[in-house]
Amino acid sequence: MKNRTINLILFLFLAGSSLLWAKIDLVTLPERDSVQMTIYNSADITLVQDSRTLTLGKGENNLQFSWANTLIDPTSLELFAKTMADKINIMELSFPPRVKDLGLWKIKSDVPGKAPVEINYFTSGISWRAYYMATLASDEKTMELEGYVRVTNNSGEDYENAKVRVIVGKINLLDEIAALARRQYPYGSPLPVPYPSSSASTMMRREVAFEMKAAVAGAMDMSLAKPKDIIKEGLSEYFLYTIEGTESIPSGWSRRLLSLKQSDIPVVNFYKYEEERYGNFANRFISFVNDEKHKLGKEPLPDGLVKAFRKIDKENHLSYIGADNAKYIPIGEKVELNMGSSLDVRVEAKMMDYRTKNYLFNNSGGNISGWDEEKSYEITVSNYRSLPVRVEVLRNFPHQYWELVKKGEFGEFEKVDIDTVKFTVELAPNSVKKFTYILTQFEGDRRQFR
Amino acid sequence: MGHKAVLGFVILSVFLACKTGHARIKLVALPDRDNAVVRLDNPSATLVEEERVLLLQKGTNKVDFAWKGVRIDPDSIRIQILSHPRDVNLLSVSYPPNEDALVWEISSPQAWEEKIRISYILYNLDRLVTYKLLSDKKEKSVELQSYLVLRNLSGEDFDNSVFTLDYGAPFMTSIQHEGTKQMLFLKKSGVPVEKSFTFDSALLPWDPEKVEGNVGIPVKYIIKNDRQSGLGEFALWGGKARIFQDDGSGTTIFLGEDNASFVPAGEKMELLIGDSRDIVVTQRKMKDARINIRRNTTNGIILYDTEEIMEVKIENFREEAAVLTLIQHIPGQWEMSETTHSYEKEDANKIKFLVSIPGKGKETVVFNYNRRNVR
Repeated sequence: MKNRTINLILFLFLAGSSLLWAKIDLVTLPERDSVQMTIYNSADITLVQDSRTLTLGKGENNLQFSWANTLIDPTSLELFAKTMADKINIMELSFPPRVKDLGLWKIKSDVPGKAPVEINYFTSGISWRAYYMATLASDEKTMELEGYVRVTNNSGEDYENAKVRVIVGKINLLDEIAALARRQYPYGSPLPVPYPSSSASTMMRREVAFEMKAAVAGAMDMSLAKPKDIIKEGLSEYFLYTIEGTESIPSGWSRRLLSLKQSDIPVVNFYKYEEERYGNFANRFISFVNDEKHKLGKEPLPDGLVKAFRKIDKENHLSYIGADNAKYIPIGEKVELNMGSSLDVRVEAKMMDYRTKNYLFNNSGGNISGWDEEKSYEITVSNYRSLPVRVEVLRNFPHQYWELVKKGEFGEFEKVDIDTVKFTVELAPNSVKKFTYILTQFEGDRRQFR
Repeated sequence: MGHKAVLGFVILSVFLACKTGHARIKLVALPDRDNAVVRLDNPSATLVEEERVLLLQKGTNKVDFAWKGVRIDPDSIRIQILSHPRDVNLLSVSYPPNEDALVWEISSPQAWEEKIRISYILYNLDRLVTYKLLSDKKEKSVELQSYLVLRNLSGEDFDNSVFTLDYGAPFMTSIQHEGTKQMLFLKKSGVPVEKSFTFDSALLPWDPEKVEGNVGIPVKYIIKNDRQSGLGEFALWGGKARIFQDDGSGTTIFLGEDNASFVPAGEKMELLIGDSRDIVVTQRKMKDARINIRRNTTNGIILYDTEEIMEVKIENFREEAAVLTLIQHIPGQWEMSETTHSYEKEDANKIKFLVSIPGKGKETVVFNYNRRNVR
């Protein structure tokens, strides 16, 4: 029932036949001992580490590796002996002419017998993504967070009993692995060579995938018996998630795994009003920090969609709040999830008065060379909810030459940068606060002469 | 495709008497190629030298050299007489119409074996260099491997030919038309590696919070092509480098790839591996005011300075300390009045801060400068 597309054949080298691979006799067909997949999500690339045991003869051996109908990058192929590396010399890897998807390693061994080797390569078509479900308690002071990893295999190759690891992080990649896999010549050509027509290979791939589906159902049932742990570890600038045990993911299938589950995470609910970014509505945010105080902080959270819900009664019925694409969250960083515009918390900003004054006239023609614009704004912040809320009102000014006078319940005030200020207002349930600010903008020569 | 390489070699022994140039007769003798040397020392062209033994007759001999389907530069073909260079003379070279061929007219004082060397530029046989770097788990040193990749689309098959590069010993291998071959030619372990993080204010967004998606700080691996690194014997050619790291459990992870540029001995190889998303840089301009204004008689501004304050907050969410290279651009005529950190001038309008941030720490760089504006 197996539909294996990767083949490995070991040949004993026949003296005299220089490179005539087709004339070499077949010796063994080593099976896979184990296989590990390291899947990236910033690009379509998976590192496959395939362990096999070869039976080598003393002297020169040839190993043929073929990968028809898969998406393997031939330039990434690497073979090395896991033991006795000083006695087993990988001399060269050649890609014979006019044969697609086939490589031939020349191995010189000083010792005959069994030799464990590892074959590494990149393949395209296997991907993973993260997503989350956040469930707020009814008082909205805490939440439960569940993180998932979903692995999908569209590589054309079945990976049975594979150790699965996923990488969180963004690697630099020059070429698409799928494009490298489809090249006519493994390392490309010094000439511009047209791509071979892809229709035939696409057809074949479909056929293979179809057959695999029928073969797979049994394997899936067995491995759903218990949830698996995911071991997380930082490496270089990335984070490595290793899924406990092994997984069988046939081509065409995907698998969802729980990567994180934490309850009672304290959260801050707040609202932000900034016309330039969110229009005339206050947007609702849920905020927490990826640290120990918030019962998190063991690993960075990979970017993914967060769907937020709220428990509305004792029977744990849920109400859907909204969703936001969370960016990557390093350990220790504060997260602000935007749940979209709110109807029950409102901010209204009205200009109540406008006047110009303090004119300057230039010496030559008596024209106006400077003046002040004075604008009075009234901000009304309304909380129609039965819970207390915090509202941040951000105001952007057209330039940096301004002065501000504030009146009323403006809460905390902060200058964010040269032309942005922030008012932070705390509101009790079902309450309204109002404040006014008078903005004086200096125009023309008034920017210098005041 | 599908054409088969034909490098024909035909000697026509022509008696002095019948000098008439009638139809070209072929297939008299086909001397075997002795030693082919493929020189890959020039990145833009490959030179092939091959030696053959001709059986020359006394008098004028016509030697036909044909390269149907082989990408030879016809103007580059040269012949050297090796056995009797004083006595055997090349009289003329002629090119028959509509054929990839030429005919050498060679005069010989007697019938003997003559060794000749033919050289020509062959297109579409080239070499690439690729690198594999395997870093230890702590990213202190790497094992550097370099592979030579031969690509042959020249139309010609090379069996047991000698290939030479601009360094290292020549080696013998075979490569057929449309074949590709990859060979390890350099392996050095324990090469020290330095990791660098760079924020260039002209290239990256100032406020990552306002950007859709993630903003990463580019991370580079830097190795030196010198003796201390166990290298430095020859220049490292440019090529694709793939960087891996020991994951501490007997296997590796892939860190990223970059194109290495040509690195002369003594210079550094810099490879961008990917982004760090655990270092976050937020830059804000806190002041931009006009000062020292000078006016003309009609009160028009003719000269002023600006006082500008830039604030750069750097957060390191990693466990380990990091040194961030912070690049800032200040156009025009300027003078620094105050900074929290020292900087180096890269050029007239570019400055560089090296900012150390402890693990799980924060650092704020504030610099205050004045710019002169003339109207």
